[in-house]
Amino acid sequence: MPGKTKLSVGYGPNIKTINVELPPSEPRPWDTVDDMTVVGTPQPRIDGPLKVSGEARYTHDIALEGLLHAAVLRSPWPCAKVSRIDVGPAAKQAGVGAAIALVGVGDKLIFAGQDVAAVAATRPELARAALASIIVEYEPQPFVVQTRDAMRDGSPQVHEAAVEERRTGADEPGAERAQGKLSGNVRPGRSQKRGDAKRALNKAPVRFEATYTTQCHTHSCLETHGVVVRWNGKKAATVWASTQSIFGVRDEFAALFGLEPSKVQVITNFMGGGFGSKFGANASGTALAKIAGDLARAADKPVKLMLDRAEEHVCTGNRPDSIQLVKLGATNKGKLTAIHVQAHGTAGIGTGAGVGRNAASVYTKVPDVLVESADVFTHAGPAVAFRAPGHTQGAFAMESAIDELARQLGMDPIDLRLAHDAHPVRRWQLELGRERFNWDARRKAAADMRARNTRVRKGVGCAVSIWGDFGGTEARVTIEIGRDGRVVVKNGVQDIGGGIGTVMAQVAAEVLHRPVEEIEIQIGDSKLGPGVGSGGSKTTSSITPAVRNAAELAKAELAELAQTALEVNSTKNLRWTAEGVSVGRQTLSWADLCKRIEGEAIVAVGFRARNSAAHPRSFPGFETPEIAGAQFAEVEIDTWTGEVRCTQVLALHDCGRVMNELTLRSQINGGIILGTGYALMEERVMDPSLGVMLNANLEQYKACGVKDVPEISIVLTEVISGNNSTGAYGIGEPATIPTAAAIANAVGDALGVHVRSLPITPAKILDALEQQQRASQGGTK
Amino acid sequence: MQPFAIIRPKRVDQARELVVGKPELRVFRAGGVDLFDRMKEGIEDPELLVELRDALTAGVELTKDQPLVPVDTNPLPPAPRYVSAGALTTLAQLAAAALPGVDALHQAAGQAATPGIRNTATLGGNLLQRPRCWYFRNRELVCLKKGGDTCLAITGDSRYHAILGGGPSFIVHPSSLATALLALDAVASVFVGDEQASPQPVLPLHELFVGPEQDPTREHKLAPGDLLTRVWIPVLDDMRSAYQAVREKRSHDWPLVEAAARLRLDQGGSMRDVRVALGHVAPIPWNASQAAALLEGQTPSAKLFAQAADAALADAAALEGNAYKIPMAKGLLRQVLHRASGLALPE
Ligand SMILES: Cc1cc2nc3c(=O)[nH]c(=O)nc-3n(C[C@H](O)[C@H](O)[C@H](O)COP(=O)(O)OP(=O)(O)OC[C@H]3O[C@@H](n4cnc5c(N)ncnc54)[C@H](O)[C@@H]3O)c2cc1C
Repeated sequence: MPGKTKLSVGYGPNIKTINVELPPSEPRPWDTVDDMTVVGTPQPRIDGPLKVSGEARYTHDIALEGLLHAAVLRSPWPCAKVSRIDVGPAAKQAGVGAAIALVGVGDKLIFAGQDVAAVAATRPELARAALASIIVEYEPQPFVVQTRDAMRDGSPQVHEAAVEERRTGADEPGAERAQGKLSGNVRPGRSQKRGDAKRALNKAPVRFEATYTTQCHTHSCLETHGVVVRWNGKKAATVWASTQSIFGVRDEFAALFGLEPSKVQVITNFMGGGFGSKFGANASGTALAKIAGDLARAADKPVKLMLDRAEEHVCTGNRPDSIQLVKLGATNKGKLTAIHVQAHGTAGIGTGAGVGRNAASVYTKVPDVLVESADVFTHAGPAVAFRAPGHTQGAFAMESAIDELARQLGMDPIDLRLAHDAHPVRRWQLELGRERFNWDARRKAAADMRARNTRVRKGVGCAVSIWGDFGGTEARVTIEIGRDGRVVVKNGVQDIGGGIGTVMAQVAAEVLHRPVEEIEIQIGDSKLGPGVGSGGSKTTSSITPAVRNAAELAKAELAELAQTALEVNSTKNLRWTAEGVSVGRQTLSWADLCKRIEGEAIVAVGFRARNSAAHPRSFPGFETPEIAGAQFAEVEIDTWTGEVRCTQVLALHDCGRVMNELTLRSQINGGIILGTGYALMEERVMDPSLGVMLNANLEQYKACGVKDVPEISIVLTEVISGNNSTGAYGIGEPATIPTAAAIANAVGDALGVHVRSLPITPAKILDALEQQQRASQGGTK
Repeated sequence: MQPFAIIRPKRVDQARELVVGKPELRVFRAGGVDLFDRMKEGIEDPELLVELRDALTAGVELTKDQPLVPVDTNPLPPAPRYVSAGALTTLAQLAAAALPGVDALHQAAGQAATPGIRNTATLGGNLLQRPRCWYFRNRELVCLKKGGDTCLAITGDSRYHAILGGGPSFIVHPSSLATALLALDAVASVFVGDEQASPQPVLPLHELFVGPEQDPTREHKLAPGDLLTRVWIPVLDDMRSAYQAVREKRSHDWPLVEAAARLRLDQGGSMRDVRVALGHVAPIPWNASQAAALLEGQTPSAKLFAQAADAALADAAALEGNAYKIPMAKGLLRQVLHRASGLALPE
């Protein structure tokens, strides 16, 4: 197999040949020359019928003989010392199999919702009822839940000592670790630097400065976090988990209980949403696997712990809020010379409130850049990675500032972007979007409505995203081709809703020329071999190359059987088709070919090699491709009532090779819907004087409903980069990065004034209009 | 939610009897949308649900008839015809009824909640549902409504609370139908006696609701066991009405503010019998009588509507987090007045 080879890579009309060096045994990556027949076509999910008929069994649905249901008593106080705890009375309640304390006298609780005690009982409502009999006395302490309050001198201190930064596989790969020293509740963290931004700002003839804020956003997974634990003797366990990382759960569970990882089997047949929050065995703010495991041991029965909706909001993570001071320096002609972002955000008692790479790494033509992020600790549930961690916050502030500067300079915001962004694909997307969205005409219409001061306004905006291909090499995919012709593809990866199983079947079908429906996919179980955590948008780019490589190995073995059977000199002369394998007029059917397999089956194991190319541009600090995206949004606003709707979104995304157009579009739709909720309505509300979350439900925590979804059109700007054997990258995260920023920019276009705070509610629209009116009456122009 | 039993009495007096005996443990269930939410939220754990399906009626019609009323009560407002709706009429039925003059009711019913809820929720249950305040609905908090000593919105997050008529409690009344029906000058028939034969009283809608100064732990006047049986809307000749709400979401969401208006246009084009109501601004459905007075006898104009909106909100006092409701209510009311009177809205 090839060492050095040439690949034809590129996008749109920009195709070129590059030289790449491949490890031995690595097949030549599919490039622009390869004709795909299955990969890239829209393929309905292979498990769709199970899901829509309700037959699919999620962790919530697991029922076992003797199963007990757990419930957790949680701290009602944002900060308190435990002065007494007695779970004895709970153990005596009806149906209770075990009751355990999770804190001791003298322990300090630092957010409302923290674990205090737990009970397992024969029915969920009996477990909840038994919690009421647990005796706990608390000594409430001063607390702080609002970010700005926590930043003030003398505010109650959340952590007395340094805080260990906790990372999961869903954090942005390569992001710097926070390392500053804690001062009060503030700990300076990540920074990204190029040149000397402060000096450049001082010298800039045009300066723009504004503070942008974003809200705390909860993941709101439809299937809440949860596990079912069954001990198989003292040293082994089976864990059913609603997780994005089967092996992450396995390793953490093993570590929690001092077991050999190989003695822990983790199963996730179906799962209902994670968005970054379901990486470990425990959740970020509740030790759910430890609790279930301890209860199961104490009761000597399997235990199920599924959180309820309020717990899901309060203690399983969230996207940190942010307060971002953005300063831009420019020349009079609109050349950006400096970017300086100072960001503060709260991840509650946890860490990781950085703001991603939009500011530092998109506008690479700006010479001087400084982006500083700091964590602010508050007495609230800890944050955790959330679909494109940091990036949605960062994109909102940076992309808003670009638009506001363009307005100040009298420039078109797309021109300002194009002048400072060197990524050829993003530039292509912006030009394409400008044309497809009818940008110029819509901007003119918006300006006209503003000038006439109409009651109903429309406006358009755009914003861009940056992400990387973070596909990894750790997965091992097994393919079995049986003597009966059956093809089975196995891997311990979980399908978190993206549809990886379907794409695996497509890749195997492509290589082996078999129908997709005849490929059997087995996933969702640690026994099926090393998978990959679904975070960083890397599932498809980690798994599909491994599937292809395994299938190619198996096919090579089949080819040798065919060579003998058809009596040809070289396997190169074989032609593979849907009918089987042929030479000249002779054809050996698939069934007959497989009958020649010696023993039960051919078994091959494949893995993805390291990245082999990154055309046309690599992600900063990585050898892998940088993924570009741009979105355009239209909004409609009633200026009398402040009502604001996002009516249309045009999304242009680079996603490497399109593997399954249907599930790909689904991912992009999902990203836009999430981004629309983030832009306009989702927000965790904490009571400042009680320190508790007020909207821990899906009624007052307002996620997009079907009627709030804009009309979405998607343009796939496919890029063949040569990165791996299939050419896949990820799309889950990039697709949600620019949405809120594009919507905010559209609001700015409609009103002529920018709303600098998410979510952009009717209240904030009315406030912005009032301030605009006051400013114009003040005659300061 | 804790286990409970359910019973379905055949007659209204039996229903009443069942609840009057043990009001803390027994409760009526109509559509059950609000009731089950309260039970799931753990703020109530009744033992017995008394289902009203067989004891009351559903259906809406146009009629010339009036109910018999006791000698000492006021009859219905005079009108040539009435819309009469049984307490079990669903929101979906009210939305689809297509009756003259009562567009405000159709619109309020048709925009509330979600299609699923509208198919289940009833007129009576909608009017008598409990507030949605996030302090009241949080089982761990003891607010004024639940016997505590203060309304937690005062020190807390009041973005969804009252700007008019608040204090000592600042909830907003949740019922969209109440806003529309108040503007439509509706009257409710109630069942308060155990003798089915004798005429039962009627209550004009504004008398049904109880403000927090009177009693912060309740929102309406009916004693446990009393039933709302029917609602009557006077349909005046040439009557027109409109309703509108502002929501953050387009479905499955509560109004931030709502407004409704009813009027007649006389031959000279002047507005007569004007009534204006606002919702989600006050602990009770809010009768904006100053606005109505200002409009009465005038010809519709954009300027006049803006003045009426200012008058309706003249007494508004915002808490920390809800000042936005004042301009919002004004803007919304202006739109509703344009729509009710037929004066085109500016572009
Ligand atoms: C997400 C969401 C959004 C919503 N949005 C809106 C909205 O925009 N506007 C709106 O108005 N509502 C809205 N609702 C509320 C919904 O409309 C009400 O819960 C519903 O109308 C209640 O009617 P029901 O028949 O189900 O009442 P039930 O739950 O059966 O009863 C409510 C209460 O009234 C009592 N009761 C019922 N009928 C009678 C009677 N005839 N006599 C005496 N007592 C009685 C019951 O004992 C109970 O206490 C929303 C609800 C949800 C969940």
